[in-house]
Amino acid sequence: MLLWIILLIVLWEIFASVVTQTKRTPENVMPHLSGVIDSIFSDKRINGSQTAFEMIIENAGATLSRAGIGYLIGIALGFVLALLMSLSGVIEKIAFPYLMLIQLIPILGMAPIINAITGDIAVSRIVIAAILTFYPVATNTIAGFKAVEPAKHELMYSYAASKFQIYTKTMIPFCIPYLFTGLKISAPMAITASILVDTLQGGIGLGCLLSQSLKGAMTRYVFWDIVFFSAFIGILSFYLMSVIENLLCRYKRAGGSGKKG
Amino acid sequence: MRGLKKGSLSQQRDKIESIVYPVLFGVLIMILWQTGVLHKMLNTDDYILPYPDKIVGIISDNSDMIMVNVWASVEVALCGLFLGSLIGYIIAIAATSFPTYGTGGLTIVSAFNAVPIVALAPVIINWTKDVSSVAEERSMVAKILVVTVTSMASMSVNAYRGLTELPPFSDDLMKTYAAGRLTEFVKLRLPNSVPYIFTALRVSVPGSVIGALVSEYFAEYIVGVGRQIRENILIAQYATAWAYIIVACMIGIMLYAMLMIAEAVFLRKRR
Amino acid sequence: MKQMKKVLIIALALAMATAVVSGCASDSGYEESKGASASDTASKSSEEDMSNGDRIIAAAKEGKVGNWGLGNEYEILALLTKYEQEPKYLAQSFDMDGFDDDSIVLASAMTYNELGLVKNSYEGGYDYGDSVGIIDMNDEGVAMLEDNLFCTKEFAKKNPNTVKAFVYASMKGWKYACENPEEAAQIVYEAGSSVSSDHQAYMASEVKKLVETDTKGETVTEYGNMDEEAMQQTLDLAKKYISLDDKTAADKLQTLTLDDIRDTSFLAAGKNFDTPEKKDVSIQLKWLPQCQFMGYYVAKAKGYYEEVGLNVDIISGGGDIGETTAVNNGTVDFGVTWVSNLISADAGGMNLVEVAQVFQRSGLVLVYKK
Repeated sequence: MLLWIILLIVLWEIFASVVTQTKRTPENVMPHLSGVIDSIFSDKRINGSQTAFEMIIENAGATLSRAGIGYLIGIALGFVLALLMSLSGVIEKIAFPYLMLIQLIPILGMAPIINAITGDIAVSRIVIAAILTFYPVATNTIAGFKAVEPAKHELMYSYAASKFQIYTKTMIPFCIPYLFTGLKISAPMAITASILVDTLQGGIGLGCLLSQSLKGAMTRYVFWDIVFFSAFIGILSFYLMSVIENLLCRYKRAGGSGKKG
Repeated sequence: MRGLKKGSLSQQRDKIESIVYPVLFGVLIMILWQTGVLHKMLNTDDYILPYPDKIVGIISDNSDMIMVNVWASVEVALCGLFLGSLIGYIIAIAATSFPTYGTGGLTIVSAFNAVPIVALAPVIINWTKDVSSVAEERSMVAKILVVTVTSMASMSVNAYRGLTELPPFSDDLMKTYAAGRLTEFVKLRLPNSVPYIFTALRVSVPGSVIGALVSEYFAEYIVGVGRQIRENILIAQYATAWAYIIVACMIGIMLYAMLMIAEAVFLRKRR
Repeated sequence: MKQMKKVLIIALALAMATAVVSGCASDSGYEESKGASASDTASKSSEEDMSNGDRIIAAAKEGKVGNWGLGNEYEILALLTKYEQEPKYLAQSFDMDGFDDDSIVLASAMTYNELGLVKNSYEGGYDYGDSVGIIDMNDEGVAMLEDNLFCTKEFAKKNPNTVKAFVYASMKGWKYACENPEEAAQIVYEAGSSVSSDHQAYMASEVKKLVETDTKGETVTEYGNMDEEAMQQTLDLAKKYISLDDKTAADKLQTLTLDDIRDTSFLAAGKNFDTPEKKDVSIQLKWLPQCQFMGYYVAKAKGYYEEVGLNVDIISGGGDIGETTAVNNGTVDFGVTWVSNLISADAGGMNLVEVAQVFQRSGLVLVYKK
């Protein structure tokens, strides 16, 4: 792991040196990492009042909170839908192809409609983050329900357990590892989606900042800061989910499918 | 679960149902859409969400131009998907062969997925500036690279699982046959990974289409379904934008259907 | 551990090898470009007296005319057609790197923004100074009017006094900004713009020219004036060069008249208006917060909006969902857009109306290296 990071850094720096020698504006193509780190911690004011660091923190707060809320809504929706689909064959058959389809609609197309429905930029950003994250949660949870060992299922039937009991006692606990697979996939996705939606319209948010920097409104280093920052946060969110999973599953190793992600 | 002891007759019924129900639902939505009920439900107007007949009309009026854009996007998506999957698989093989360092590499590759594609696309387009002096060519390379990067992660992670999560005792069995590493690889690990390849593709096929569309937003040479969507939304031509959105969905559905067919053919042979 | 070291050494060696190879490659590339520039200077004397037409034709033949597209391209298309060239252009990114590395020979630039970056040496600038020349759309007779102020017809009908008050206060802001461009630049900077203050000052001085001079180079005294002739030229060019795939929209475009897209009554009302019907209003800019929109920032900072009883929220633009959409679906009340974009939006089925024309001439130029 460490080795790979070192290798990547070395490669990056080599190319950055080449770029610095051949291009007039190396920071637009590939800046030295030292420059990027410098730009984060420099005291220079980017706009009237903030340094790059303060600006990124403020905008990241907005983006991440929207991503977080959207993520939670997405989880709830995905889980409920998966539950419904597993309860009713008709719903499953109807919903499955459309679940797929929603993923294929470019966000740029959805955004104006959702914007018109909600009438508020911030709310529509949350809604879109939710839409984009609930698919992995739903599909993985369904996979979990489907994978409940039939033997277990039949055992419960032979105990004359009610449907409610079957779900609460065997199926939901069993599908938790699967749910987490979905959660781990969708956590970085929620953040990416939130940033992507930011770029569609002005206001506050990492994506707004990113596109402004790309459009030359401020130094290009802000763009690079955000690229690295978002990658870092994305990975962090993945590990956060793994940690939560480990905490939850420590006292019930029952699932035991041993996903490594 | 329900289909545990199903006869072939009910299985067939199941199959028909899983086609008929969604189609019926789709028809219902279409009716609601065309009659304007959907607009009332969504609190929007026929401007932001034009009626289906208008969208279809635009598609048929401009079919020549649309096909040009479609081919450009499909080419990018498929080339990128192929390259990305290939590289992803190679990484997975490397990770299986040298687990000490390889797994770290896997993590790095999946980290690429955490970089938003809107940030990735302009960066890659800048990096590929010197590839060719013809804008059309260098834009093509850039777009393909964007899709490559986005489809790499899912393949490498899934293929790695396919190569390592072997059926119980199969590994030991191979050892008792005194099979070499290469034989073990070809006879056991490679076939074992095939279903996982398809799992990966199920994620990366839709992903590659979206990747192609987004990369077109930023590319220098102006062509592609994604570019048309962006351009028409910006100049507020929603009917046309929707026509291209529908076309984009169609591309996704077609590619996914092809994948499903391929999967059915490949996996049946193995049973 | 030992193995780890080995791999590290191999990796480093590999990296160094790549560096050497790529270094050589870049060296030879450098040589080449040097050679090219040498031959450039040799042929320069003959190119010196190249006319604008020759430049446009030469660049178009090479396919190296650049524009951002996305609704900003119509003047370029008109210009290419004027010189009988195929109306095609390269998508230019929002920096001027393409111009700098010669992948674009004739690059689009706004006088107040990109042109300043190309010429000047402050942060983000390319420092070309006077070694670049420009082709001005106004001189070429293909000028289309840009930044205006608009809202929906429905909003204007329902809130006539709000619109009058907003137009009045905004124009007052523009007047003050044009009279005191340096102070205006400072105000915009303090309002949270991240454009460097040097560039901001440059932008203010250039925007002042666009606001106070018309397409023929004559001085305009009335801020926001909707000049019949320039508007008509914009509409005529729009009808010719905006191509819409939607047949109904394309047909409607051809039937549009000036009366469909602008209403002079709100500007003409001047100070004569009653209490605004809607007090909290918002305006969506066409682009990022910068001096291009200094009038509104000044009006807010100087309290002109408050004076007329309005509480104004300024929302920056620059995203992929246009200002026309934002105004049309009611997320914001007013918007700043280019006249051509308003025309295509109305053709597509929106009901937008221009209530003031801030920029009196086209700010778009094609920049080339002399």
